[in-house]
Amino acid sequence: MGFAAEAAVPSTSPHPEVLSVGRALPPNAADQETLIAALSAHWGAAHYNAGRLAELHRATGVARRHLALPLDAYPRLDGFGEANAAYARVGAELGEAAVRDALERAGLAPADVGHLFYVTVTGVATPSLDARLVNRLALPRSVKRTPIFGLGCLAGAAGLARASDALRAFPDEVAVLLSVELCSLTLQRDDTSMANVIATGLFGDGAAAVVLGGGARPAAARRRGPEVVATASVLYPDTEWVMGWEVVDGGFKVLLSSKVPDVIAANLGADVDRFLAAHGLDRGRIRHWVAHTGGPKVLEAVGGALGLPRAALERSWRSLHDIGNLSSASVLFVLGDLLASGEARPGDLGLLAAMGPGFAAELVLLRW
Amino acid sequence: MVSARDVGQAAGDDAEGRVAQEIVRIARDELRLDGASAALADGRDAPLADRLDSLARLSLVVAVEDRFRIALDDEGALAVRTLGDLARLVVARAAPELLP
Repeated sequence: MGFAAEAAVPSTSPHPEVLSVGRALPPNAADQETLIAALSAHWGAAHYNAGRLAELHRATGVARRHLALPLDAYPRLDGFGEANAAYARVGAELGEAAVRDALERAGLAPADVGHLFYVTVTGVATPSLDARLVNRLALPRSVKRTPIFGLGCLAGAAGLARASDALRAFPDEVAVLLSVELCSLTLQRDDTSMANVIATGLFGDGAAAVVLGGGARPAAARRRGPEVVATASVLYPDTEWVMGWEVVDGGFKVLLSSKVPDVIAANLGADVDRFLAAHGLDRGRIRHWVAHTGGPKVLEAVGGALGLPRAALERSWRSLHDIGNLSSASVLFVLGDLLASGEARPGDLGLLAAMGPGFAAELVLLRW
Repeated sequence: MVSARDVGQAAGDDAEGRVAQEIVRIARDELRLDGASAALADGRDAPLADRLDSLARLSLVVAVEDRFRIALDDEGALAVRTLGDLARLVVARAAPELLP
């Protein structure tokens, strides 16, 4: 599985540190019943028993979601071009807000940022949104930008890992990871498949940013945020069909297999054990579990695979309930909740984990 | 490959058999569900869960509701274990003029 190579990261090398997490949600919010009512009119035209679809949405464990646009604006979106233009406009606003929030919490200024990693899977733009943010935030013109599209729900964890990798090469510098996901703008109104109905009930909109500092920055510049001790990526062979987009004329049509929980249940426990063992650890040493929120079945599969009580994933469950699945941003929101709680103590270990299209898992070992 | 007609004929040319044929046609031709043909080959009394995952079974129930203009309550939908179960529910609940 290649985790042995991860263990080769010198333990004496200074680890990058998570300095802060910033979050931004669009001001438009709606509870699940309001969204069901709005969607029912559409479902009623396509399905005889629209009540069955409403029950599916009630079973998602999501109570409320934030939306990029006011609810009544969605029926007027005409095709992929308009939806993607809204993505670029609202995404830049939300992304800016999330990065400003994160920088302020870290006590840093835009001029301090050396690397900007941008992850998304819900819209496309060239120049990518990170370039627009360099202008909006007055980041240094020399900032190294890395836009990453296509990792889906995996990208919050994977982006954290890649940003940490960069800071191992440039340990005096500061990196920002930004995730912007406007899932509501990918809604395919003509796709009446159950996969789309379920996705429509789960996903919400939001942006999260993480500021990381290299391990060689002066002690005075360090915070009490966790160090990124090690990371691991796992791709499950021949599982491309489990999750993803089919790009159609109308935009991104969701591919979602009900096998997702099965793939997690079959693999995650052993993968986490191998990763931890490569660092002389086992699950019992992990005090904080930071899991992508997925959906109820995904969270149950994660808890089952790792042998965790529900309380160990409570922040993920609560995030799913409060704001829905924000794709790559979700795991960063959960990390932000943990940091804000002040619960973690020096020496605590945490494991941040996300799964997504590939099908793949990304694991990040944190130490406070 | 077993055809939809074979399933109906194997069970006799009854109303349930004709409905079962139509359900298999929907699964295979409209929903293009992986495993639809295999479920068909298993026969009307084999568990659908052996061949279709939960999302596929849900898709099939919704498509059957649409085709036959019936609303299965959750209890009814949960009771559907086999193709035969689904065909029996359709015959019991659908308006006769909608049956094949």
